[in-house]
Parts: sequence; C-alpha cells; structure tokens
Amino acid sequence: MLTPLVHYSLFLLAQTSLSSSQSPPVSWPSHTDCIHANELCSADHSCSSRYRTLRQCLAGRDRDALLSSMECKSAMEVLQESPLYMCRCRRGMKKELQCLQVYWGIHAGLTEGDEFYEASPYEPVTSRLSNIFRLASINSGSEPVSSKYNACLDAAKFCNVNDACKRLRSSYISTCTLTGDSDMCARRKCQKALRTFIERTPADLSYPLLFCPCRDQPCAERRRQTAVPDCSFKRPEMPNCIEIWEGCRQDPVCRSRLSDFVNSCLSSPQSASGCVWDNYAACLGAYAGLIGFDVALNFLDSDPHSLSVGPWCSCNGSGDMESRCERFLKEFTENHCLRNAMLAYGNGTDIANTQSATKGPQTTILPRVEGGNVLPDNQSDSNIFTEGEPGICTSFQAVKNSSAPELKICVSESQLNTPNLRKYEDDNDISGTSQMQPLVLHITLILLCCVQFF
Amino acid sequence: ARMKRARVRKQPCTLKEVEVSVSELGLGYVSDETVLFRYCSGTCDAAVRNYDLSLQSIRGKKKIKKEKVRARPCCRPTEYDDDVSFLDSKNHYHTIKEVSAKDCGCI
Repeated sequence: MLTPLVHYSLFLLAQTSLSSSQSPPVSWPSHTDCIHANELCSADHSCSSRYRTLRQCLAGRDRDALLSSMECKSAMEVLQESPLYMCRCRRGMKKELQCLQVYWGIHAGLTEGDEFYEASPYEPVTSRLSNIFRLASINSGSEPVSSKYNACLDAAKFCNVNDACKRLRSSYISTCTLTGDSDMCARRKCQKALRTFIERTPADLSYPLLFCPCRDQPCAERRRQTAVPDCSFKRPEMPNCIEIWEGCRQDPVCRSRLSDFVNSCLSSPQSASGCVWDNYAACLGAYAGLIGFDVALNFLDSDPHSLSVGPWCSCNGSGDMESRCERFLKEFTENHCLRNAMLAYGNGTDIANTQSATKGPQTTILPRVEGGNVLPDNQSDSNIFTEGEPGICTSFQAVKNSSAPELKICVSESQLNTPNLRKYEDDNDISGTSQMQPLVLHITLILLCCVQFF
Repeated sequence: ARMKRARVRKQPCTLKEVEVSVSELGLGYVSDETVLFRYCSGTCDAAVRNYDLSLQSIRGKKKIKKEKVRARPCCRPTEYDDDVSFLDSKNHYHTIKEVSAKDCGCI
C-alpha cells in the first residue's frame, strides 16, 4: 500500500531535519494557526506559487502520477519548510472550517495507506483532567454520597443554574425533540445545535453531563440520553461503518475530529493509562469533539458499569473490507484508553498517580508523552521533528535529553508507540516484505539524527 | 431606624430566584431535575401614578361598580427567561416556555 511517496517524504524529512539543525532556528512559533500561516505564505512569492502547485498536484485525477513528478516534489520540498506545513487548528476556533481547509489542502493525500490513522490537525490538548473536575469536588463536598445519589442529575442541575449552559442545552434538546409532520426529527439541525452546545459550554459543565459516573440504571439511562440519541445518533437503518467514515472524510471538520479521536484515544497495552499519549483530557476532548457528527459515539445501553460506547454503524456489508472494518470499529467499541479516561474522570483521579507507578527504562520518553507540547521555547529547532514526525522526535528527544544515549531504546520506543509505525503494522497483513523498507529507513533516519547531535 | 425597618419589610419590586425541582413547578411534569426559578417580588409604592389615585377615588365614590379594577401597580415579569428543557422520570425530554421571569417591573 505504501507508495514511493512515503519513502520519499521520509527521505525529504531526513534532509529537512539535517539541514535545519545547521541553519538558525525558524522564526515562526511552533503552532501557527493555518489561517495565519496561509496569510504568511500568500505574502511570500516562492511559498504562494509552490502552494498553488502542490494543491494542483493533490487535486488532480492522476494524483499519484502527478505527485511523483519533479515539479510536485520540489513544491513539497519547499512547503515542508514553510509555516503552512507545521500549522494547526483549534477545536471550536473562529473560522475553524477555513483553517481546516487550509490544513487538509496540503496534508490530504500525503498520508498514503491507512487513512484511518492520519494525523490530527488540532493543537495538542495541554490541560490536565484535574482542570476540568467538577464532580470530584461535588462528591467530596457537603453532598452525602448516598445510594440514591445520581451524578448525572447533579450535572443537569449545574447546567440548569448556569444561564449560558441552560440556554444551549435547552436549545439542542428542543431542536432534537422537535418532530414535524413525518414524525422524524430534524437530524441535521439537532446535530448542529449539539455541536454548538459542546463548543460553547465549558468542559466543567459539559463533561459532567457526558461522563457522569453512575451506580444505578436511572443514572446511566440519563447519561445515555444526554445527546438525545434518538435523534442525533440512531437512524432507522444501521449504516455500514466504512461508509460513514468515508462520508465523514468528505467534510474537513468531521475528518479532523475523527483523526483527533483516533490519535488522542489510541490505546496502548504498554502504557499504565492505556493511552498512547497518556493524556485522558485529550481523549475525552476528542470524544466530545465527535458529538454532533455521524461518526459520534454514544453509550449503547443503560448498564451503569459496562461503559459500553460505540458508533451507530456495523461492519455488515463491508465485503472484502470486513476485517479492516472490524479492526477499526474496535478502536471505538473496545477502546481501553477511552474507558480508563471515563473511569478516571468519574473517580476524580488523573494520570499523575499512575505515572509514578510506571518508573522504568521507559521513562526516558515520558517528558514528551506527558505534555506532548511542553517543549521549552529554546528548543524551537527540534520542534520541527516534533510536528512533522512524532515517532522520530520522540526518540530523537529521548536521545537528546538523556546523558547516555541508547539507540536501541530510541528505535524500539518509536516502534511501540507511534501512530505512524502502527500504521505500518496494520498494513503488514496486507502486503508483507515491502513494509520493512520504511521501517529500515525510519531507523536509518533516527541514526542520522543521532549522529548529527553526537 | 423606623424608616430602615420599614424599607426592609417593603422591598421594592425586584427579581429573585429559588432552586426548585421540576415536579415542584406544579405543571404536571414529573422530574427530579433542578431548575432555577426566577420570580418578581416587592412593592410598587414608588410607581403609583395619578391614574391609580384617581381610580381609587372614583371607585370610592361608587362611580365604578361590579367591575374588577386594580388601582395600584403590580410587580410582574416584564420579560420571561429562556426556555427550560429537562428529562422527566420516564426518560422523555420536555421544553417549557415562559416559566421563569427575566426582568420585573411595576405595571
């Protein structure tokens, strides 16, 4: 599945990396938003003409052929050093759609193979789960934790007594319960109102409604009903999952939210948290970001303990894509990262506790995993790696930070933990031996980086 | 001191609020969900107009009989709060309009 383009882009990246470590640090901040980056590029003659060229390369019908042409390659080479390539967007930002259009204009198609694991265009979430706890304080407060205590009822109360939350909640509920002549709800309007609610309501009011911990059925049913699933989630027929994911990718916002979920909630059996990025807040945020789209998840039953969530789709009728469909569907229905994040939210615990328990050789890379984005400003040169190729920078940084570099760790960690390499793993069952090439290149690349610094 | 005590008892018309359950609204809905109920409370002495004084006088002289008239201003909502939505005990959503005051006036 991997085209020469991927090899080439890795090679390009290696070149970029090596050359930039010698040149002065880049002048733009690491997370320029794509609208601003687009303005910067438009003002620069060479950037704007290359940008136009690359867009034509990507939009053409013979995309693969075009992309291997010299013109397209050189356009890409230039753009990968421009602010455009590094740019990101923020969920719910002003002109979010426009920002994401710029992002996908340059990134779409550059991830060949499994598009399911494509990188997220959103800035990494910096806040910790503890910043958005509300239930925790309620639980430990004056309220007696009796057997009748219903956290979801409490969450509704906290929203109702807040004017803005009450208005937005009421707005989506009334839209989602409105039935016209045909007894059908206005699904699209309902989803739009839900998205507005999620985007404009602070997490300390919306998360308790979405993730309230339950001990009995009435509570869990209330939680299941939060997004008015009869209108926003369920449909008369059960669509095929691949179809709804493909449909989602046609919309830049939905596509971004989907990739954000897949990245932020990526499960890892190696990690104590169950999450590759060890960031519960990011995973819950990505779950919330899907609400109001056809690919959204919801609680599937009102069992207080099962925490079974999933999208409204099945893999029936996937044809030869069935195993692929099932594998991806498990990222939603059997996601340990998401499950742990929900449990942690309910318990009022965060990863800080679990992290101290995982001290070992792996901790070499923990600084990166902990924040993802808490690089000191003076490391702006290495930000290039961080943004372009997380796998590389993880190990790269590990090497850079540790006093005694161990190349073995550097490579194996990236193999275990990066979404990029996971993509290769998933492709392995499709075609065999050729998959080793990018891996070898990857390792070579890391070695090159290391050599450069030692 | 006397003036002050009088003023405390006879507070001018203002918006007040109380947390109540939806069931307590008495509209026939059964739900434990809590809502903020805002209401108008207070006196309207300062809002008495010549209209009210004249109406009282004329009524006193039995010139208006067998008719319901109000010869003093009344503290009432001039604007109602946004809709309130809630989930009832049978897990159905409802939205109710104009259940809570947003602004009060002597009218």
